[in-house]
Amino acid sequence: MQKTKTLNILIPILSILLAFIIGMLIILLLGKNPVEAIGYLMKGAFGSKTNLANTVVRSMPLIFTGLCTCFAYRCGVFNLGGEGQFLAGSMAAITVTLLIGHEGWWVTIVAVLAGTIAGGFWGLLPGILKTWRGLNEMITTIMFNYVATLFMGFLYTTALREGSVPQTAPVPDATKIGRIISDLRITWGIVIAVVLGFAIWYFLFYTSKGFQLRAVGFNPIASSYNGLSVKKYMIAAFVVSGAVAGLGGAADILGTQFRLISGYGGGYGFDGVAIALIAQLHPLATVAVAYFFAVLRVGSTTMQVGTGVPTSVIDIIQALVIIFAVAGSSMLYLPKVKTFITNIFEKKEVK
Amino acid sequence: MSWSMISDLLISAVRMATPLLFVALAELYSERAGLVNIGLDGIMAFGSLVGFLVCYWTGNPFLGVLCGALGGVLVNMVYAFCTVTLAGQQIVYGMALNIFAPALASFIYRVVFGVSSTLAQATLMKTISIPVLKDIPFLGKLLFDQTPMVYAVYLLVIVTMVYFNRTKSGLNYKAVGEYPKAAETMGINVIRTKYIACIICGFLAGMGGAYLTTCYVNTYSDGIVAGRGFIALAAVIFGRWSASGVLLACLLFGFFDALQLRLQVGTNLLPYQLLQMIPYLMTLIALTIFGSKIAGPKSKGKPYYREER
Amino acid sequence: MNEILRMEHISKQFGDFYANKDINFDVREGEVHTLLGENGAGKSTLMNVLIGLYQPSEGTIYLHGKKVQIDSPAEAVRLGIGMVHQHFMLVEAMTVMQNIILGDKRFKGIFIDHAARRKEILELSWRYGLNTDLEAKITDISVGAQQRVEILKALYRGAELLILDEPTAALTDIEVEGLYSVIDKLKAEGKSIIFISHKMREVLHVSDRVTILRAGKTIQTLIASETDGKELANLMIGRDLVECDYEKKESALEPVVELKNVDYNKTSKHNGLNGVTLMVRKGEILGIAGVDGNGQSQLSQIVTGVTMAEAGEVMLKGCKVGRVTAADFIDKNVSHIPEDRNRMGLVGNMTVEENLLLKSTQKCDFCDLNGWHLKKKAMRAYSEKMRAKYDIRCQGMDQEIRSLSGGNQQKVILARELEAKPDLLVAVHPTRGLDIGATRYVRDNMIAARDAGCAVLLISADFDEVLQLSDRIIVMFEGKIMGEYSGKNPPISTISLAMAGK
Repeated sequence: MQKTKTLNILIPILSILLAFIIGMLIILLLGKNPVEAIGYLMKGAFGSKTNLANTVVRSMPLIFTGLCTCFAYRCGVFNLGGEGQFLAGSMAAITVTLLIGHEGWWVTIVAVLAGTIAGGFWGLLPGILKTWRGLNEMITTIMFNYVATLFMGFLYTTALREGSVPQTAPVPDATKIGRIISDLRITWGIVIAVVLGFAIWYFLFYTSKGFQLRAVGFNPIASSYNGLSVKKYMIAAFVVSGAVAGLGGAADILGTQFRLISGYGGGYGFDGVAIALIAQLHPLATVAVAYFFAVLRVGSTTMQVGTGVPTSVIDIIQALVIIFAVAGSSMLYLPKVKTFITNIFEKKEVK
Repeated sequence: MSWSMISDLLISAVRMATPLLFVALAELYSERAGLVNIGLDGIMAFGSLVGFLVCYWTGNPFLGVLCGALGGVLVNMVYAFCTVTLAGQQIVYGMALNIFAPALASFIYRVVFGVSSTLAQATLMKTISIPVLKDIPFLGKLLFDQTPMVYAVYLLVIVTMVYFNRTKSGLNYKAVGEYPKAAETMGINVIRTKYIACIICGFLAGMGGAYLTTCYVNTYSDGIVAGRGFIALAAVIFGRWSASGVLLACLLFGFFDALQLRLQVGTNLLPYQLLQMIPYLMTLIALTIFGSKIAGPKSKGKPYYREER
Repeated sequence: MNEILRMEHISKQFGDFYANKDINFDVREGEVHTLLGENGAGKSTLMNVLIGLYQPSEGTIYLHGKKVQIDSPAEAVRLGIGMVHQHFMLVEAMTVMQNIILGDKRFKGIFIDHAARRKEILELSWRYGLNTDLEAKITDISVGAQQRVEILKALYRGAELLILDEPTAALTDIEVEGLYSVIDKLKAEGKSIIFISHKMREVLHVSDRVTILRAGKTIQTLIASETDGKELANLMIGRDLVECDYEKKESALEPVVELKNVDYNKTSKHNGLNGVTLMVRKGEILGIAGVDGNGQSQLSQIVTGVTMAEAGEVMLKGCKVGRVTAADFIDKNVSHIPEDRNRMGLVGNMTVEENLLLKSTQKCDFCDLNGWHLKKKAMRAYSEKMRAKYDIRCQGMDQEIRSLSGGNQQKVILARELEAKPDLLVAVHPTRGLDIGATRYVRDNMIAARDAGCAVLLISADFDEVLQLSDRIIVMFEGKIMGEYSGKNPPISTISLAMAGK
């Protein structure tokens, strides 16, 4: 058991290293200096107070979508709809804000609630389709993603449009989620995100319901024979994960983005899936990996400016991390590899 | 609605069903061997890039399509290795493909063309009309005045039907997806069949992607795939894992795709984004009505361990 | 007689565990040679080596005196070795004929020549008395018919050496007779048969020679006519078999569960219940005898609340049962040892401790604040107590339960189900796949539960088990109750006939 825990931590770390090495090779093939490129990357992510803040800000939506996926997968629900549920949250939050017309912190609270509920609802729909009609949630949640993105387009080009440029009116100042330190962009949203990470971790491992949810995720048949209501837990997983993403969307639009605009939220959903998988579905690790992804993204723009290496190298590195991390944990289960590892640890104990 | 409007709509439907049909058939071959591949979007994206590039450089859309197909095979080999040799979870690797392949495609595009807002243009594949047949009223233009890719995919449907229903190889193939252990004991090389399934899947999905950038339009942009890979998954379920069923499903989805385009141009009833939702909503509705509890090949989705303990 | 097969010094390792160690085994042409051993002795592993599914870690195989390398099932087929597995290797969605011609490489051409193949198969089936409907789907034919298909498959590929792995496990007595006559015909045609079993009666009836395996090693090879059941049993177990007699009790207490005219999936012969009426009283063991696949699974699901009856009444502790779930039954103190422990009883990826407490995390012994804070210390103390009490062999409470042996997994289930002090215990094939020690342990515990006043419903395909443990016996056939008999001095031949539908 000890050895599995050690290996479970080693694998993501090794995957990241390996992916970076390959990334650096690619940069070399492009004719650029990889060490210099990585240097710019680090500078962009950590080089100044503003940069550090930007990294944290950038990680916030990813923590939410990562936790969304993590929670859902723990119940065996393959919710790929983080993107749509996040946008549902943003759309609900900004619509409520603009429609209420007033400003103030109470509007913020209403808007955040609206976003969370909207996200939960957007998760509930595929959940109903699955439990009532047995529809594969991977397909349905993706369909709902597209519907949500298109609806957002409708909102900022027509319904809530302000002015000649296709975007909505911004969130009024008094309604924005406040910054923690006034001259850095970090808002209280990040606090909510991290607290949520801990809350989910506690729920899954220290409460009875969390335990039962995990049991359902591992073996729904045995769970139902042992008296657990599989349908209830699955619906709960759909709704809660959607609500988490929706909360993220609300927090993001009220604290960082302030307007709906073309391209908003793009990629947050799938990034969240990648993050949860690399973190092996552990909520606290999800927070850490989300931050890591943010480091890559924020640093990559500086890298592109400084050395001309395109930002899409980062996409490839991220994708490679996923493949290696997941391949690594699969390899652990192969019979031959199991024998090999047992032998290694046996020799250590003998010594 | 005049006849010519309907006819145009149907021609469009056939054209738009084609990439979907390629990908759906790709997934059919994959799932019939027990492998659920949700990374089709990713494979298509990569195929569309490779197809576009080759077409742009050589001016030959046929070469582009072929290379796009080969690109799809390349990408799917990652999936194949991880799910067949490493016996890993298919869903997870499919997702990994969806993240990795489009990133790779986008990256290569940026490297070759730089970052600019004007899209590079390649040669568009021309339609080829079949003489005599094309003069049949109504059906003629619909079925016999399309690009060769359309003819190819319909031929493929027929070949697939014959393969699975009449040939020895097809029977053995299906057994791999139903009960691989039994197939193994009958002397069928399960691992090899699964790899072949991945090659076919990658080839067809890549081809479907390449179709988008050489026949449908002649440019490449991120997001051109627009979720077709997932609609194809629905088409396989909806079509009950048979080639003829998949054909009908794709024609139906293609029809709705064509319809929403027409409605965008034709009417001012609804904002265009709401019309664009139609294919996705139709997929949901179709699945809800028809797609529920049918199972498909019995061992699909399960990893196969040759020596189990 | 000539020797057809010789396996010399065969060993097969999995990790550091030897499933087969230095096995020596030979078969003569035209003989029926039984491989005898209890569950886990290594019989299936040895056969998997012979048919090329596994590669031996050490040793050599000779066919007709020549050394051979069997590196794949295809190679085994080519060499004339055919196996009828205990769990049939048949594709359910395909027809009998499709299953028989699957993977056959002998004929040229891309397309299937239905007419020619049909003719060949029909001729074979006539020659050996193996009748089946070629166009029927496997899901629609009986277990006995499926077995005939399996034998046809082997013969169709020219098998000279046939391996029959526990062939009578799922057959009625009549079907077993049918199998014996097929074996006679095969012998007459010069085929050799390796018969795998752990049932003494059959072994003595059908074999020419018997080789006993124990803990992965060959113990002895005997001539069947020169030995008896007692000697074989002793060799199989390695010590003198202690005859076990459990006391039978008659209970006049109130019934805990009653079924009145219950229907479920009435039209199905193998997966339904038709007008079932029975009851289980406090302090008695009701044994359901019958070959697996006659509605027993459905019965177990109805008395545990997993499924609902479609007609008729189900009464639990005197109250009629309406729309309920398994949780309601569990609340009413019904415990369940399921037929497939890995699929229905245990969450494989979770730890031993988590499985022990699967139903109990809401109890105030193990949580505060109505479930919002788990008392990890209390949970650990309890699971360690269970480990000691039930002698669960594992590396620790945090070990994933799927890496435990079958016997220890069953002990975890026992611990969980019995500690709940149930009023009704439903035990389905509770000793399937367990070795003698674990089997004895499980049975002792069920008797103890009965003695403490629990009502026990025992469903088992192991007829001996039902005879040994039950106070009353009910026979099920095709979803119907065929008769009720006393467990004291049960009329064995009457019950056997009832099990076959007479």
